[in-house]
Amino acid sequence: MSAKDRGNPAAFLIGAVLILLSAASLIFILLPKDQENGYTADIYQNGNLIASISLDEVREPYRFTVTGDGDCSNEIEIRPGSIGIISANCPDKLCVLQGFISDSRLPITCLPNRVVILLRPNKDNELEITPDIITY
Amino acid sequence: MKLKRLTTLALYVTLSLAVYAVESAIPPLVPIPGIKLGLSNIITLILLHHFSLRETALVLTARILLSTLLFGQFMSFFYSLSGGALSLLAMFLTCRLLHSKMVFLTGAVGGLTHNLGQLLTAFALTATPGVLSYLPFLVLSGILTGLFTGFTAAFTDKYLLPHMGRDDFSSSSSS
Repeated sequence: MSAKDRGNPAAFLIGAVLILLSAASLIFILLPKDQENGYTADIYQNGNLIASISLDEVREPYRFTVTGDGDCSNEIEIRPGSIGIISANCPDKLCVLQGFISDSRLPITCLPNRVVILLRPNKDNELEITPDIITY
Repeated sequence: MKLKRLTTLALYVTLSLAVYAVESAIPPLVPIPGIKLGLSNIITLILLHHFSLRETALVLTARILLSTLLFGQFMSFFYSLSGGALSLLAMFLTCRLLHSKMVFLTGAVGGLTHNLGQLLTAFALTATPGVLSYLPFLVLSGILTGLFTGFTAAFTDKYLLPHMGRDDFSSSSSS
């Protein structure tokens, strides 16, 4: 890298944008996500919500299978406080490798079968301030 | 297109396909869909430096078609194509802005935009806004793996290509 390159404003700008993006992503990934009220697992298939399970209310682990068009099938296990895909017929099995999730940081996605499991923090209804009336 | 040029491009398709094959033999590093090294991008970066955008796009499209046929599944075609097209365009612009210097920056831009294109496709295909929570992971991994492929491409260009008869085509590097 010569001194001339270093003075290139385009390079400086691109480098700065990339560093900023990396830093922002890193902060977002490492940011702790405290949630006292537990999570609700939303299971989507092809964008449709097919099941919604409050993980705090689960006492005994249980399994069920999500099937879709084209022989898609994902076996999901629900445990108290966590959820995961334990077997699937997709080729790469990334969804199984991801194991069990217990916070909303990263959803489990099976792209070939278009299944997404997302954890949503349980809302404490007491704390939620809902207006009685809105005037304009 | 001259026969020699066509043959050279075909060789590059073979080369990037071989690199892709080696990469697909590596088990996934992180169990997050979309995170991979993207080693074929090394070839794309070298091509962008020495060939026109049209020729690079030709090699890339051929590579994506063949890799889907040989190793992939039907769905991966759309992910590869959207990521490939977006990153090729972004890398072309970056490459011109930087006058083909500091290839690692072009690589990082390519990795980033490739993952963004894939995420948008995943969003369109699954129709679930939840997949967007992968964004920070994909942004970070795209930039890091892109830096790696960028450095690799720069070193390949500097030390390896001169021994491969680069003079044959470098005369028409301006496009």
